[in-house]
Amino acid sequence: MKYVVRRILALIITMIMVSFLAFAAFHIISGDPARAILGMNATEKQLAILRQEMGLDKPFLVQYINWLFGFFTGNLGVSYSYRQPVAALIMPKLKVTLLMVLISFVIIIICSLPLGLRAAQKSGGRLDWLRTTIVQLCMAVPAFFLSILVSYIFGIIFKFFTPGDFPKIEKDLAGAVRYLFFAAVCIAIPRIAMAVRMLKSTIIEEMEKDYVRTAISRGNDRAEVLKKHVLKNSLVPTITFLGQTMAEIVGGSIVVEQVFGVPGMGRFLVASISNRDYPVVEALVVILAFWVILSGTLADLINQKIDPRLKLGGRA
Amino acid sequence: MKKHKWNGYLIAGVIITTIIVLWILIGRFYTPYPPTKMSAAKLQGPSLAHLFGTDKFGRDIFSRVMQGSGTTLFIAALTIVIGAGIGTIVGAMTGYFGGIVDEVLMRLNDALTAFPSILLALVIISILGPGKYNVIIALGIVFIPSYARMMRTAFASQREVNYIISARLMGASSPRILMMHMLPNTMHVLLPALTIGFNNAVLAEASMSFLGIGVTPPDVSMGYMLSEAQGMFRSAPWYALSVGGVIALLVFGISLIGEGMQKMNKEVD
Amino acid sequence: MKKRILAGILAASMVGALLTGCGKGASQGTEAAPAQGTEEAAEAAPAAETQEEDATERAQANEIVIGIAQDLDQSLDPHYAVAAGTKEVMFNVFEGLVKYDSNGDTIPAVASEVEVSDDGLVYTFTLRDGVKFHNGDTVDLDDVIYSIQRCKDDPKVNPQTSTGLQCIASLEKDGDNKLVMTLTEPNTELMSLLTLAIIPADYDQQDTAPVGTGPYKYVSRTAQESVELEKFADYWGTPANIDKVTYKINEKAEGLIMGLESGALDLVSHLSSTQVAELNKDNFNIEQGTMNLVQALYLNNEVAPFDNELVRQALCYAIDRQGILDMAFDGYGFLIGSNVFPAFTKYFDDSLTNYYTLETPEAGKEKAKELLAEAGYPDGFDMTITVPSNYTPHCDTAEVIAEQLKEVGINATLNKVEWETWVSDTYAGRNFQSTVIGLTADPLTARSLLERFTTGQRVEDEEGNRGNNFINYNNEEYDALFEQAIKTYDDEEQTKIYKEMEKNLTEHAASVYIQDMADMVAVRKGLTGLTFYPLYVLDVSTLKWE
Repeated sequence: MKYVVRRILALIITMIMVSFLAFAAFHIISGDPARAILGMNATEKQLAILRQEMGLDKPFLVQYINWLFGFFTGNLGVSYSYRQPVAALIMPKLKVTLLMVLISFVIIIICSLPLGLRAAQKSGGRLDWLRTTIVQLCMAVPAFFLSILVSYIFGIIFKFFTPGDFPKIEKDLAGAVRYLFFAAVCIAIPRIAMAVRMLKSTIIEEMEKDYVRTAISRGNDRAEVLKKHVLKNSLVPTITFLGQTMAEIVGGSIVVEQVFGVPGMGRFLVASISNRDYPVVEALVVILAFWVILSGTLADLINQKIDPRLKLGGRA
Repeated sequence: MKKHKWNGYLIAGVIITTIIVLWILIGRFYTPYPPTKMSAAKLQGPSLAHLFGTDKFGRDIFSRVMQGSGTTLFIAALTIVIGAGIGTIVGAMTGYFGGIVDEVLMRLNDALTAFPSILLALVIISILGPGKYNVIIALGIVFIPSYARMMRTAFASQREVNYIISARLMGASSPRILMMHMLPNTMHVLLPALTIGFNNAVLAEASMSFLGIGVTPPDVSMGYMLSEAQGMFRSAPWYALSVGGVIALLVFGISLIGEGMQKMNKEVD
Repeated sequence: MKKRILAGILAASMVGALLTGCGKGASQGTEAAPAQGTEEAAEAAPAAETQEEDATERAQANEIVIGIAQDLDQSLDPHYAVAAGTKEVMFNVFEGLVKYDSNGDTIPAVASEVEVSDDGLVYTFTLRDGVKFHNGDTVDLDDVIYSIQRCKDDPKVNPQTSTGLQCIASLEKDGDNKLVMTLTEPNTELMSLLTLAIIPADYDQQDTAPVGTGPYKYVSRTAQESVELEKFADYWGTPANIDKVTYKINEKAEGLIMGLESGALDLVSHLSSTQVAELNKDNFNIEQGTMNLVQALYLNNEVAPFDNELVRQALCYAIDRQGILDMAFDGYGFLIGSNVFPAFTKYFDDSLTNYYTLETPEAGKEKAKELLAEAGYPDGFDMTITVPSNYTPHCDTAEVIAEQLKEVGINATLNKVEWETWVSDTYAGRNFQSTVIGLTADPLTARSLLERFTTGQRVEDEEGNRGNNFINYNNEEYDALFEQAIKTYDDEEQTKIYKEMEKNLTEHAASVYIQDMADMVAVRKGLTGLTFYPLYVLDVSTLKWE
């Protein structure tokens, strides 16, 4: 229990650090949010009025503390670009991205576990090199290129979905899921390849350990040993990997959302950075950071349940 | 003395990579056409005169790929030198000394990891401006945390090993222990990770170009060309295919080396 | 493994099929699904077929979907909005006392009639009967006075508009439907300024729920996704044809092209010739207009070596503009020689277009080398061209220029920056050597195009503002001409002076003026009535499905 408390505390500290870093970054970055809104013809007077309206005339630390205070009282501020509460603006985007990430995660698990096991079993076989090659190639394709290919082939040629026409989740959930499925595949493919590679090497490593060799040499069935011991012991690195995957597919979604025109968080983040819409960026950064840390923490906690011997200090 | 035996992956990887590196080196001195030379022969398909065809400005794609893969190789290589270099130092400090240094640096490391890397890159580029060298710095910084965490584990695992303890008792200084005794023993972890990092750097550079924060002309990189090519997928498919093919080959060669090294380590153990 | 991967892909597509299956059941009328089953039927046909189905469906519902590259401004208030993209959309929602027709002339709108006194000091506007706001209220004189007064006094209004309106001395009601406007001095550009939107007095939600009098009314927006407009039934003039207009936002041009191809979009403007080449011409008509902007390699006249007129002229000679058009725009575009675009016929002086063009590009290069030698740069120099990275045409232009300048020994590197950085550092901060950008006229007056190069716009005023002379052009003769122009009330005379000013810019090579870019609009077959304006707008009210 103490361990859980410690992890949660670490999570909060890291998030505060992330939010501060993000805030500081915006103050170094070039481009003035007031000018971003008022454009080329802005006068100093107009700029001054707007800066005051947005609270940008206050010192940096005051702005940050105001923001932090707002955050803890559930007020994420008002978007510069849309004059709407940030929370209301990002909720719909959050839903879309979460759905996409979820689909992607399911695809990764469904595909990589059987493929990885198979690859491990057949390791050293005649076609081993071919498997490795395919896995490596899947990892070598840039995400945006894959996205273009997929939307071209499945969207334009086969018409499985209509690129550029993402239905609203509330109105047409099935349609949204179908659309997101293809985007999710693009996120999933490189991760599946990595998972297969990781599973293969973990299982092989385990198989070569003394206890397994002993067990097999004592006449136990190979498959039985695999099931009973090896898989169980491969579980810990697998769950760690899945934790990382959870964290990374959110980052991977940024580019994919751009190509597919999915109105999710990543695309909104990029747009808000160029609009210098800091309240929105700040909120998104904190959410993303929370997601990343949460994934790692969850994986560690699950691992500890599986194998209580693991005493994980901090984030190992 | 254990013997390192070369395996098929390593050989294939080294061959592919050597050929590409040679090709890139030739590109430093000779390309069939000047890579930025524009001509009226725009968007021509592959022919004997232009092996990979021409781009939207009538430039020879083959020559540009020769030059561009050089830039990409350069960016990716320097990125992992920065990322792995600083990552190793941080990992060594935290893994070896532990305590408060460990706590502080790892928290900072966590914060950096949790910070969306694309945002980190955008911020750094927007402070430093675009261009080849700034892309390297940005990516280098983005890559530090993962190496730091990995190397921390690698160093920490050796801290209580007998010969390190005895070295310490014999009065060897910490830097000496870190450099001479511990670092060589982390290589089996670090080297394969370098190859993975290299490939991630190539892909990250491509994503940066796609988002418009990559290299700027007259420099050209594979990511830059690929993001240009994907907008012409229908009218000039050869452009995307030839650039994509060379990227895949580059990444592929390096990952084979990584795969081979891992296999070799296992055989040694 | 290969088999396995194949199996994996099959499994994945089965999941996909399953999903599409569900989609078919749950969503009414999603037309993408049926196409799947018959995909082998014909190679080319399915694409066209489903596209047509999508489009027919929309045609029957009398709706269109337009793709745009940028989201609208934070404020939809017509007096505060600044982005060209926002005005392009809101052109359909708002009108002034007068509005532009497709020639760029002003025609009566909310006012049915205008009378001008002989001395040009008193304007009498007759309010059109029964003009309604989108909220159902009838427009009265108070609304009109409020709108004009607000544009004149509110510090948040575009300074080019408010400065222009300062000549208004008084606004008075004469009866219920006449407005008498008295000026302190005649102003030939007043009518252009009075295209300013008439909005209801004391309505405080223009920012988020704009209300105007135009043929379309604003319905809703979703950040970074879409904007919806609806036909206004009580419009006073020729009613619009299309009932519902949806603008979909996709910041990636590839995304817009994909949307057209897939049938999600019916119309996208501001495409380049390269992008148009990606489209299947069976489904689209490509209409060509002009962007109505001045694209130039703007040179910072205060920074070496461009503080030297000879160097600037050398650049004008060295840069082969037709070459740029051929190389980066497939030959489309209209060459210009000064800071006015051709569609603005009243002020455009075609004799300047080829001022620096010699018989051959090579002769130009020779001349440039001579001038460079004379200026003290016989071996050329290094320079930086700053370009906003989100504008591909400008980036392409800069790339071609850099290549052309190599031949005269000038080594140009590109500095691609984000748009926001460009606005604050390059434009407002004037921290640049040269930049490629397109300048528009807003309002559509010669003054808004030419005043920006005067000393008044170069140096700081008492409030600390630096005006729009971002290239730091500094020419006394030019300043004198401008003073003369704004004091001249005879239209013909004034036009002549403005043309003198254009000539001055050309002769002193203020910048390297390149072109007004071609505006390619992809319009789905069956959709007609696209009208081009000499402004950056898209008039939806004339569009219709056949």
